[in-house]
Amino acid sequence: MTRVAAVADIHVGVDSVGRVAAGMRHLNERADLLLLGGDLTRCGEPVEAELVAQELAKAGVDIPVVAVLGNHDHHAGRVAEVVGILEDAGVVVLDGTATTVGVGGTAIGIAGTKGFGGGFAGANATAFGEPAMKAFVNETRREAAGLHDALVAVRPGADRVIALLHYAPVPETLRGERLEIYPFLGSHLLAEAIDTAGADLVVHGHAHNGSERGVTPGGIRVRNVAQPVIQRAYRIYDLGEPTVRAAPAAATG
Amino acid sequence: MAEPREYLVHHIQDALATDPRARELGVDVQVMGDRLVLTGTAATPAQRAAIAEVVEELAGGYEVVNEMAVLSADEDGSVEELS
Repeated sequence: MTRVAAVADIHVGVDSVGRVAAGMRHLNERADLLLLGGDLTRCGEPVEAELVAQELAKAGVDIPVVAVLGNHDHHAGRVAEVVGILEDAGVVVLDGTATTVGVGGTAIGIAGTKGFGGGFAGANATAFGEPAMKAFVNETRREAAGLHDALVAVRPGADRVIALLHYAPVPETLRGERLEIYPFLGSHLLAEAIDTAGADLVVHGHAHNGSERGVTPGGIRVRNVAQPVIQRAYRIYDLGEPTVRAAPAAATG
Repeated sequence: MAEPREYLVHHIQDALATDPRARELGVDVQVMGDRLVLTGTAATPAQRAAIAEVVEELAGGYEVVNEMAVLSADEDGSVEELS
């Protein structure tokens, strides 16, 4: 039994003091791991990252915490400082990278990246025309490639693999959002990277009016844990017992 | 001539994203008759009030109706079994 707590879009600002901590008082006894799916801060100011760290400390969170940043965390242009503050507080911040967390004998591999927009198959942006349009699509391609490589890298040593994003990889978890803004909420390139590399669960945020549950075209579960969607401090997903992988068939000859 | 309401909604949403008091992209602004109706979720009660304040400053003759919710961050411990 491996219990993963997850939340995104907590948007901590200077008026949030005490609110996050109050919701995480029982986290240690309920979950083995906490995933934060971006938009930890309201504007990406270092003072807000300090508040996130303080809230986690105030709640006494001592299970591993793994995060990706979101678009709000980039707004102030002080990403390096924000990451430094979170890492000093013990939070592992992923950006096209992966980490492995040991939970009672089970190795949970987490590959994470912020992701970006572009839309979904049939209604997606393409890298054609103006440089700004190419830059937009290429940014998503870069994010998707980073996620793919991180998933591939973490898989060999992991019993379970989770992809952690801010932007959405599938449209199903956007249901409730206005169709016109889907291209700003995610990209199918992220789902393609996940389906190609493999994972057991995908967690994202960003779509405040979306829906919690979806699935990639390859059949991997997707959960939108944006706090306005889950309407609670965090959601817990039980990954169950690790599957014993079949040994490769012996060569005959 | 009064500003067409489509542009007014755009200007309000820009202001909500960039005004330091609000910094919120997730506010849905709708014009209903002579009212501007705000829906969505604010992070805190203070941000909810600040969002309405920013909109009031741009609202012209419209009455601002603040129907925004505040983020619910209660701890309920419910678990979804994925195995």
